[in-house]
Parts: sequence; C-alpha cells; structure tokens
Amino acid sequence: MRVLVVDDETLARSIMIEHLSKVPDVEVVGQAANGFEAVKLTEELNPDLIFLDIQMPKLSGFEVLELLAERAPAVIFTTAFDEFALRAFEVHAVDYLLKPVEPARLVAAVERAAERLRNRTPPPSASELSAAARPPGRNLERVLIRHEGRVHVLPLERIDYIEAQDDYLSFASAGKKLRKQQTMSELETQLDGTRFVRIHRSFILNIERLARIDLYGKDSWLAILADGTKLPMSRTGHAKLKELIG
Amino acid sequence: MHPILKHRSRLLLYLAVWVAFGLLLAGVLYFGGKAPAYWSFMFSVPLALLLGLQSLSFWHFVQAMPPGETPVGRMAATWLGAGGVSLAVWLAAAYGWALMLLPEGKTYPPEALGMLPLMIFAGAIGILIAVLGHYLAGAFQRSRTAERMALELQVMAREAELKSLRAQLDPHFLFNSLNSVAALIGNDTAAARQMCFMMAQFFRKSLSLGREQSIALSEEISLVETFLAIEKVRFGDRLRTKFDVAEDVLNVAVPPLMLQPLVENAVHHGVAHLLEGGEVRVTARRRDAFLEIVVENPCDPDRPASRSTGVGLANVRSRVETLCGHRASVDVDAGETNFRVSILLPGDVEKIRATS
Repeated sequence: MRVLVVDDETLARSIMIEHLSKVPDVEVVGQAANGFEAVKLTEELNPDLIFLDIQMPKLSGFEVLELLAERAPAVIFTTAFDEFALRAFEVHAVDYLLKPVEPARLVAAVERAAERLRNRTPPPSASELSAAARPPGRNLERVLIRHEGRVHVLPLERIDYIEAQDDYLSFASAGKKLRKQQTMSELETQLDGTRFVRIHRSFILNIERLARIDLYGKDSWLAILADGTKLPMSRTGHAKLKELIG
Repeated sequence: MHPILKHRSRLLLYLAVWVAFGLLLAGVLYFGGKAPAYWSFMFSVPLALLLGLQSLSFWHFVQAMPPGETPVGRMAATWLGAGGVSLAVWLAAAYGWALMLLPEGKTYPPEALGMLPLMIFAGAIGILIAVLGHYLAGAFQRSRTAERMALELQVMAREAELKSLRAQLDPHFLFNSLNSVAALIGNDTAAARQMCFMMAQFFRKSLSLGREQSIALSEEISLVETFLAIEKVRFGDRLRTKFDVAEDVLNVAVPPLMLQPLVENAVHHGVAHLLEGGEVRVTARRRDAFLEIVVENPCDPDRPASRSTGVGLANVRSRVETLCGHRASVDVDAGETNFRVSILLPGDVEKIRATS
C-alpha cells in the first residue's frame, strides 16, 4: 500500500514514518509539510492512503480533503487533541489516530484502510465532516476554491455576493468572480444567517455590501451594492432582509 | 435611592421612631400643664411624623457631603441652612395645625405663645437626631459597599488565576510535546532528555508562579523562554524568537502568567498558521514611570478568526485590571499581517497590591 504522510511538524512526520516502516506491505511514497503540498503530492503520487494532520498552516486537514474531493484516497486523520474533530470522527465513523500514536493502533488502522480499499468504500464527505467538527455556534469562516489550477482561500468578509450558475456557485469578491462546484442550499446551511442572506433563488448577499434597496416592480426589488452592482430580490428574500436590518 | 425608602420594614421602623418622638412631645405638653391629654396627642404625633418625612431629604446632603472629605465650614453652613429651613417649615405647619385643632369660634389664649420656645427646642432636637441618624446610615452603607467591592475584586482575581492555571495545562501543547519526545527517543536521545527536562521545568514553574500574587519580570521572562524552547523543538525553523528586555526592568513586579498566554497565542494563532513561520518578539522597557511590555508576531491575513485568542486576551486584561486598576492598560493592534499586544504596568519594584 502506497502511503503519504502529511503533518506540519518534522518530528511528528518522522515518528509516523518510523512506525510505518515496521508495518508490512506499506511503502511511504512521500511526505508533505502543509495542506498545499498535500494536495499537490496526492495528485502527483496517487497514494492509496494519507495520514492527514488536522491543524496545519493555511489549509486544515479537512480543507485538504475538501479540495481533493473525489480524487481523495483513503484517509486516516491524526491529531494531538481536538475534541470537536474527535466527535465528528465518531459520528461519521472516520478513522483517526491520537498523537503520540500507539504502534498497535496504527497497524489496526492501516488494516482497516486496506479493507476499505478492497471494498472500494468511498472516502468520507469533507463538507459533512468539517461541518460536524465545527464547534457549536460557529459557522464557516472561509471558502476554498480551486480556480485555474490554483487554490484560493477566500475569507467570508471578502465575499460580496454568491450567484448560482447551473451546478456551480460563483463567488464575487472585489470585482473578481471565482467558481466552485457546490449547491446553493448546502452553502446556505454553512453560512452565518445574520451576515449572509439568500435574497433570491440564485443569490446570497453579504449584507455588509448592501447600499440600498430599490422597488423594481410589484413584489420585486433590487439590492444595490456599495460598488453599484444590482441584484434581483424575491419577495421572501426581501422579507428576510427586512427582518435582519429592520 | 434612599436607603430607608428602599425597604418597607425600614420605613415602618423609621416612622415608629418618630411616633415615639411625638408621644414624648405630647407627654411634655400634657405633664407640663400646657394642654389637655387628647389635644396634646392629636397635636404632637402628626407633627412628629411630618418632621420625620421632612428629614428624609437630609439623605441628599449626606450623599453630597461625605464626612471627612468636606470642609467643616461648608458642612456647618449647609446644615445650619438646611436645618433652619426645615425647622421654620415645621413651626409654620405646627402653627397651622394648632389653629385647625382649635374648637370652632375659639382663638388662641395669650399664654399659648409660651409654647414657642418649647416647640423650637423640640424641633431642633428632632432635626439634630435625624441628621446624625442619616450620617450613621451613610457610613454603614459606605462600609457595606466597600466590603462588597473588596470581595468582588478578590473573587475576580481568584477566577483569573484559576483560568490561567487551566490554560497552562493546554492539552494540545502537552500531547504535541509528548509526541515530539516520542519521535526524538528514536534517533536523538540527548534531545529527548532535554525536551523532558524543559517540559518538567515549564510545568513546575507555571504551577509555583501561579500561586504568587506578583513576581519579578525576570521570572516571567524565563518561563516564556522555556515555553518557546519547547515549541521550537516542535516547529523547528518555522519558529524564531527575539527578546529585547532592558536590564532596568528585570526586577519590576508583574502579575504571574501574564506574558505566557500572550506568547502562546503568538505561536498558536500567529506563527503556526504561516507556511514559512515567523518571529515572535518580546520587548520590555521602562517608559516614564511605567513598564511597557510588547508581544508581537506576524500572522496570516487569511487565518480563521479564532475565539480562543479572544479568551486568552480577555483573561490577561481582566487580571491586569484587577491587580493594578486604572494604572494599567492592555492594547491590542490586530493588523492584517501583524499582531501586537502592548501592556503598560506601574513600574514599581515592590509587590503589587490590589487597588480599587
């Protein structure tokens, strides 16, 4: 089995590789020190299994999984301590190891991963997993977008509005538009409803960008943004917005 | 609000005292042969109650002129004025009330005026007692408030201490450090031993320093150095540190475990989110009569907003404020790529004493 080890701490990688060297039928094909490298190496090396640390700079382990999407191989998460992540793993029956790792636990986890590979069990859903791992009362804080081969990390406060286009979402930020494959309703549940409002079937608005509301016709309105952009607003959208901003 | 009007039972007790005063006055009138028993009673008791109600207004003066903080001359003048006005109003009411109590068609007998000196005396005594009573109530209330504030301060300081102790045993730090030790044992036993030693030193020191009310800045700096040395084993080249501590502030008294949470934030919410890492800078120097401590670190503009930094900072802020009061301040400058916390503390070498 070809394995990739991802952890931002050199020592944590070295002990994991040391343990893995004693597990039969396992070959460590690479190691990555951050999420960007992890995504790149996974695509280049095409490993069967990744040991993925959760807390890393720039991209967390969950975000790496999200970016890999259907290209993701089997995953075993590793963490020293993260109560919310552990709960998420339990809920979604995802394998994880606690650092420092006990070698016997590691062998068992590798065997389970091999079993899943034989059965072609699909990897866990990244968005469900990261949603479950979010501490209660906390919403999504940034959006990851792969655009023309590059990974963009878009903090929510930089998003002006989001538009649905076929099965894509288009994120408008400072005049630029970035596209991501996701559904409107899935994104809506992850966002903070007091900051982002679905004003129309195809539009979610960052209410900080709203400059004014114009009446457009009977039962339809236009949201005018600070940069002059005009977005259509439905009756229910208008009611929701009214309720929020009074 | 007036302390007597706040509780019904207090008001009833207060009025009962005035009824007793009225009965006394009635007794003097009757046994002094000035008036018949029924008339004396009907005349004195309502007037005594009136004087009691009038006296409630003295609370305002007691509040405005706390004893010990007001010049004696001003106090005497105010009370002579207030007491005089109150007495005059009361005497006028007494005159009117006496007229109303006279049987129809009768007028005052000439000797009735002989009652005036007695009434002036009674009114003055009543007012004097009321003023003294109000001062007593004021002093009582002030001491109760001071007691409560002292207790509150104590509780707050205690809570902050507990919180910071709990923060010392940060499980993330503990397990990651243990993982580093486990890794080092395989190929660098000397480094593994050194790491165990540093961890023991760090935990021992944070436990003992946490019990103190104030420690020398040099002790806090050495705790922070140990913490950063452990984190450097984990983070390798990504974590760099720079200390710039002036010689003349090493002995200044600071609250214990004040710097450590800030440096921990600088590592976990700053440097740890940067691919290439960064430098944590700790500066301490004298600024006029104050000690200025600055913790600064680079940070990722795209970093997820973190709640625990806020908690750590609020904790430090409340500790500094409870221990040093308004003479201290904590300033946070959260820039796009740089995070900076600066603390100003009184630069005394003696131990910090809680001030309100």
